[in-house]
Amino acid sequence: MKTLEREPDERQLIEAAQSEPARFAELYEQNFARVYAFFVRRVATREEAQDLTSEVFHQALGSIRNFKWQGAPFVAWLYGIAANVLSSHWQKLGRSPAGDEMELSDSGDDIERSVLLAELVELLPPDQSRVVLLRFVKQKSIREIAYDLGRSEGAVKQLQFRALENLREKLGRPI
Amino acid sequence: MNPHVLNEELDQQIERMVTRTNAQLAGSSSLLAIASELCHLPDPDFKRGLQADLLDEAAPLDSSSDRSRMNHSRIAAFSGIMPTLTGKGLRVFPADHRSFVVSFASHAALVFLIASGIWVGQRPILRTTEILSSKLTYLGSGGGGGGDHSSIPVTKGTPPKFSDRQIAPPVIVVRNPNPALPVDSTVLGAPQVKLPQSNQIGELMSSNVILPSNGTGGGGGAGSDSGTGLGSGRGAGVGSGADVGYGRGISSAGRGVTAPRAIYDPEPEYSEEARRVHFQGVVVLSIVVDQAGHTRDIRVARSVGLGLDEKAIEAVKKWKFEPGVQEGHPVAVGVNVEVNFRLY
Repeated sequence: MKTLEREPDERQLIEAAQSEPARFAELYEQNFARVYAFFVRRVATREEAQDLTSEVFHQALGSIRNFKWQGAPFVAWLYGIAANVLSSHWQKLGRSPAGDEMELSDSGDDIERSVLLAELVELLPPDQSRVVLLRFVKQKSIREIAYDLGRSEGAVKQLQFRALENLREKLGRPI
Repeated sequence: MNPHVLNEELDQQIERMVTRTNAQLAGSSSLLAIASELCHLPDPDFKRGLQADLLDEAAPLDSSSDRSRMNHSRIAAFSGIMPTLTGKGLRVFPADHRSFVVSFASHAALVFLIASGIWVGQRPILRTTEILSSKLTYLGSGGGGGGDHSSIPVTKGTPPKFSDRQIAPPVIVVRNPNPALPVDSTVLGAPQVKLPQSNQIGELMSSNVILPSNGTGGGGGAGSDSGTGLGSGRGAGVGSGADVGYGRGISSAGRGVTAPRAIYDPEPEYSEEARRVHFQGVVVLSIVVDQAGHTRDIRVARSVGLGLDEKAIEAVKKWKFEPGVQEGHPVAVGVNVEVNFRLY
């Protein structure tokens, strides 16, 4: 089991950000993927997930000096802000979260898996990682990617296939 | 199937997937499932852009509105060594060198006081007693040691009685045979815990049955590590742990130590925050189950937030266990427990 043994370091980072808000960048780097993953399956579009993620970090930066260390990981505090931001978002849209299957399908485990997947993509060979980014995140067509990378469409498809196989193999291994 | 055809089919399905917004795949292919998850990854350009926005926002928070002119290279300078001393860079007001001199002098004086022992020496000794007393609210997980750096292992024998105060540590070779106020030696631990007693103080498992020795450790007790206790550990108790009481410290299940078994584990409550957004997850807590089956030293090993960590801790505090057992005796065992929060 992967254990989060990072409390002392994280506490120092929080204290640094409280005295110098520019140091918030380190907390952002550590927690960005989790906050984004919290939203991405709960909202309809990537743009909404980005807006809400942005809102969470702006709020967190604005109130970092009020944060009191009580031993819980910093991300727990961010999830609290995220829940409020999501709740307000739903209110603005005039809909209730209940009955929406997308929200019910998500959990803390899914968030950790998304974070792990993002880390594994970074560990792929650079050409595979680039294809994954362009294909799945930027949502470009094979033809567009082939043009951007100066490769044939067949080569891009092959890179995409190998990347997926690599990820499947790594996800299958015990972490 | 031909790999080329397979690849083509996979790509056609991926194409259908990425051109739909937030599509949920019905297909069972594990590659397609991973492809679906990849569609949820964040855009690195967005991540970088937001980071830049936050840095811009952080700049004025540092002190005044002039900071809004701070660019990213100056933010990097912010982390430099003592920027106010040179007055360069980020401060709105020019650095006053006299402030630095006053600050330096006061810190130097403080360091001198601490180093000389004057400041520490004036702190009330009572504080140490308070800390030790609070540790004795549980039976202790064991641990003691000591010695006087002898080359001979500690003499075979039995530990003295447990007490919640220790005036004289257990020793075999007494350096002061005529003390002004003789007191019995004790080891720190719950007085209700009784161990076998004999006329010879020493370590039960020692091979030295003849020569009197306090052992190879240090600290004033008897044993092979350090402390005012007895044994191969550290502390004022007995055993190989680093605590008070009797035992080998906090054990892990396995290798002759049985895992504790929950006998009373009421369900945790759901937090309102998590319920509101239908959030589910598994909180992993690292706990110690003591010899009496109570939980202590509860720490969040894996957090899910939204108040669920706190709810998990609240529930686990009430849990009761059949303690772990080693060689027929209950021992404190460190375990991880998963607290599952699901909405049905």
